[in-house]
Amino acid sequence: MSATLTAAAPPHVPQPKQHGKPGGFLRHTNIFTGLVTGIVLAALTYIIGSHWFVPWGTQNSTYNQVGFQALIMATFIAWVIGFMAGIGAFAGPIRWMLGHDLTHDDAEYMAGKHQGNWRYFKYTTDHKVVGIQYLVMTMVLFAVGGFLAMMIRTQLGVTWTSVFQPNFYNSIIGTHGIVMVIAMIIVVSGPLGNFIVPIMIGARDMAFPRLNALSFWLLFAAVPPLVANLFMGGIRDGWTVYQPLGAQAPIGMIGYQICIITFAFSTGIASVNLITTIVTMRARGMTWSRVPIFAIGILASSIMGLIWFPMFQFSQIFSMSDLALGTSFFLPTRGGSVWLYENIFWLLGHPEVYVIVVPASAALLELMVVYLRKPLFSYKLAIAGFAGVVGISSLVWVHHMYMTGFAPSVGYPFMLSTELISIPFGFIVLVMLGTIWRGKMWTRLPMLAVFALLFDKVVGGITGVYLSDVPVDQYMHGSMFVVAHFHYMLMGAGLFGAMGAIVYWFPKMTGRMFDEKIGQIGFWTAFLAFQVTFMSMFVAGLQGMPRRVMQFDSAFRVSNWISTIGAYCIVIGMLIFLYALVSSWRSGKVAPGNPWGSKSLEWQTSTPVPLDNFPVLPVVTEDLYNYGIPDPYIETEERLAQDDNEGVVV
Amino acid sequence: MKRALFTIITVLIGVIVVAGSALWLYAIQKPSPAYAATVVGTANTPQGVVKHATMTLDIHPNSGPGVPNPPGVPTSEVDAGGWPFYSQTSLQFPAHTLVTITVHQYDGASTVWNPYFAGVHGTVGNTAVFNGKSASSINPANVAHTFTIHQFPQANQPYFFVSVPMLAVPNNAKNLANGFPAPQTITFSFMTGAPGKYMWNCEDPCGNSYQDFGGVMSQHGYMSGTVTVV
Amino acid sequence: MSETHVTPEVEEPEEPTNRPAPTRRMKEWFSRPYVRPIVIICAVITLAFIPFAWVVLYFMNGSGAPASPTMTEIEKTILVFTIVSGPLMAITLAVLLYSLLARGKGSWGRVHGEEPPMQDSPAIRTNSTAVIAWIAATSVLAAFLVVWGMIELATITKDSYGSIASVQGPNAPKPIDINVTGQQWVWTFQYPDQGNISADTLVVPINTPLYFNVTSVDVVHDFWIVELGVKIDANPGAVTNTGVTPTKLGTFNIRCAELCGLHHAYMETKIQVVTQDQFNNWVREMGGSRTA
Repeated sequence: MSATLTAAAPPHVPQPKQHGKPGGFLRHTNIFTGLVTGIVLAALTYIIGSHWFVPWGTQNSTYNQVGFQALIMATFIAWVIGFMAGIGAFAGPIRWMLGHDLTHDDAEYMAGKHQGNWRYFKYTTDHKVVGIQYLVMTMVLFAVGGFLAMMIRTQLGVTWTSVFQPNFYNSIIGTHGIVMVIAMIIVVSGPLGNFIVPIMIGARDMAFPRLNALSFWLLFAAVPPLVANLFMGGIRDGWTVYQPLGAQAPIGMIGYQICIITFAFSTGIASVNLITTIVTMRARGMTWSRVPIFAIGILASSIMGLIWFPMFQFSQIFSMSDLALGTSFFLPTRGGSVWLYENIFWLLGHPEVYVIVVPASAALLELMVVYLRKPLFSYKLAIAGFAGVVGISSLVWVHHMYMTGFAPSVGYPFMLSTELISIPFGFIVLVMLGTIWRGKMWTRLPMLAVFALLFDKVVGGITGVYLSDVPVDQYMHGSMFVVAHFHYMLMGAGLFGAMGAIVYWFPKMTGRMFDEKIGQIGFWTAFLAFQVTFMSMFVAGLQGMPRRVMQFDSAFRVSNWISTIGAYCIVIGMLIFLYALVSSWRSGKVAPGNPWGSKSLEWQTSTPVPLDNFPVLPVVTEDLYNYGIPDPYIETEERLAQDDNEGVVV
Repeated sequence: MKRALFTIITVLIGVIVVAGSALWLYAIQKPSPAYAATVVGTANTPQGVVKHATMTLDIHPNSGPGVPNPPGVPTSEVDAGGWPFYSQTSLQFPAHTLVTITVHQYDGASTVWNPYFAGVHGTVGNTAVFNGKSASSINPANVAHTFTIHQFPQANQPYFFVSVPMLAVPNNAKNLANGFPAPQTITFSFMTGAPGKYMWNCEDPCGNSYQDFGGVMSQHGYMSGTVTVV
Repeated sequence: MSETHVTPEVEEPEEPTNRPAPTRRMKEWFSRPYVRPIVIICAVITLAFIPFAWVVLYFMNGSGAPASPTMTEIEKTILVFTIVSGPLMAITLAVLLYSLLARGKGSWGRVHGEEPPMQDSPAIRTNSTAVIAWIAATSVLAAFLVVWGMIELATITKDSYGSIASVQGPNAPKPIDINVTGQQWVWTFQYPDQGNISADTLVVPINTPLYFNVTSVDVVHDFWIVELGVKIDANPGAVTNTGVTPTKLGTFNIRCAELCGLHHAYMETKIQVVTQDQFNNWVREMGGSRTA
């Protein structure tokens, strides 16, 4: 139990001068002004640019000489800048340049005080609002990605005909990949990292509230260019947009590249915010050995993301300039290097998958303690596991490039580092198994999600071992086996884990209880269908089916039919889960402050959470996993000791 | 009870959205109708007497009067300078037949990257007739396009590969009244085997972007299509 | 307010000062009612992985694999890796299944319902035996996988590059050099030593080492001879090498395993492994000459 400290009267600080009404310019900006400004600025750029810089006659081209692609690039950049201006992102820097400080009323306005639900559509700095905004954005992205997955599986179920032309099919597989990757990166760190982590560590908000709003709205600005690519010719490449194939793509590719460049800024800012918050704003008494494991996991993945996301960003900046400005970073006919692209991409590409899996695992480690009411088995080992995974993840990227031939002898050291990373990864599995061991389980959905995550993580881990071995990769690389492996890790462990975590914190975030009757039906339908879909995909890969193909040998038909039927069932399960989520949010049972009986700080404040989180900031006096009764077997051990050592008093 | 009903409604809406979109996307793809070779009689081949079928194709550098853009792709996709295209892209040949194709080629040259495709492969005698003269390869710098039929991933159908370079119109050729220069005529024959499905595409870099394989080359219906042996 | 806030010590259960001998503790642990079912489930699943490994190979061998020593080594590796992965899946599934399904004596118990149970479980914060055993076991497993992998990699590299003269015996067959050109969307092959003939399928004699020089003229492709276990990227602007010795007659598949544009799915061709005489005939038919 945490005690609270009554505060003495704070010393008087003279307030800065209030310029205008509280909130100033931000009183007039919201998502609609952002959209209008963005679209208007983009249209202006396009019209002016095509009149004066690009010959009028080439306007109708999807493909063209460099000039038109540069114009589209400028148009998308204008959209991002226009949107951010319209939503009020520049109000802060301009206010600073004018020498106007934020008053307390300004800060409260920006945090959404007295604005009701309208604050979710504005540049609001309250971390709770940003968390909900991220949650809705994530759900939209999953809907788009899931829809594209259905299109893909439909084609792969009827390969004797072609539902799509091959170029469109190539675009939808690439877009499905990147939309899902973006959604998975933000699904835990976004809603839960923003909403829950500050309360969980006993702070009033994040370290940089205005950067928090900025990171969300940058993400919002990044999504339309990405989705627009499908209407601009598509990207016609996988989600990794390998060069030089990407240099043959139509202007839809520029939408992808602008999205990633913007998204990388958003993620970098969010990572800085999370790291600073967790390191500097923990409640008094929350020493490092008492930090909740979820915060540790978010910290670890944010550090990894901050270091490596610029690599992805730069790979796309260089690709975009190859496409639109005539450079040749990755074009071999003019001195560029194909392997350079692959290395830069995978330097992020590998840590990214841990950015996806680590937060989901950390969230489930956090919540399983509450449902089993026993402490985390070896908290220190869990930290060592996350630290090891994050540290070694920077050293394994070439295992995605074993078959590129760029340096055959690097297979050896990277095989070593990839196997090494399985050891800290195994620590997390041990901590989970050890916590379940002898635990009396409360069979709620978040707890059962741990089972789903563990099983899928072990399947993904074992199949990862195959792929990490160069000789086996010589058969498996570029086949559907790889696709099934990463779906097991990112979707099986990542998504199902994230769903469990969202259900766990649902009462705190929305004030209502999640409808578990329907939610469990949806969850388990999706889980079982997931097994069917992707186990069958492993079989297709073993049989020799390459990836990213629209039609294939009839030998692969049966495994693909099974996968397609399974995929349809996954979507049915997800739709049921979605209905449970939305209907609970709207009209579920009102939730008490601590429905799970948790000792963690975020459950000690009321629901709905007040604007400044705690009436008085808490002080932590013991670690937050102090559940559990003494182990009854200790007595047996003592008795054994007495039998062995007669006459010695223990 | 109400919850169960609304759940089912949610699922149904999702299913309808997915199915509807798939059907709509299928409908707007509009592949060009199949164009069949006409059987004109029989021919003597070393394998015996077989059916003989003929087909005529045109390759235009862009659309023009009397030469509309091929179906299946909205005009916004097309380069303002126009895209080269084959007059028909969904081809159909009868099985176990000697097929003779005559191509009228109106486009200018672009060098093939791989000299293999300046040669004739898979035809009878590995030769083709270029403006009346038989040859087994042409100058790689004079190739405008190629007609290359290659494998569809299907194990239990016969292997089929035909590649013929399309001779280019000389650079200094003058345009005739219809807006195009006098065409080159290329004729070649090959034997089809058992029924199967194949793909064909041009292997000459006649598009734009990197290595000229973007643009028209990365879009179906212009320089690529399907071959069905029935 | 007072700043000296002494944090109370966390209550740890007292370690018995005279611990019983390890064997007694082991026996005691095994006699606990939940341990035996878990160990049995573990053993069953571990053993089940052995036939499962053969099922995995069955799916791989549907079209004629293995057709080279490289592929045989790859399959051997897959077999071994599957079997040694058994214990990890076994312990995970055993704990999960026991927790979820066990009833009666020794089961850990489950609580259902809307209200928090407020019945705590044993406060096991750590167990050094378990942690050390797990770290040791996973480290040994990882070390085994690494060492096996490195030895296998060296072996198939030797198999692949066996055509290099320096590692040849005096009576070994002369390797055949083949230039593989990947381009959007056809593979073409050239035999420089057989009179520079070029073809769209590969025809090769059995039991003869092949040495591939692979490149691309446009984007990245991936040269994959499926049943022979050969794979190497075809990169524009560079030549990559690999090799193999086919040891089985038949026709096998060559596929492209890196998305390369519109017809990536259709970039397939065949390799025919034939007898030496059939190969010589084929070379002659193609207009080439057999170099000694």
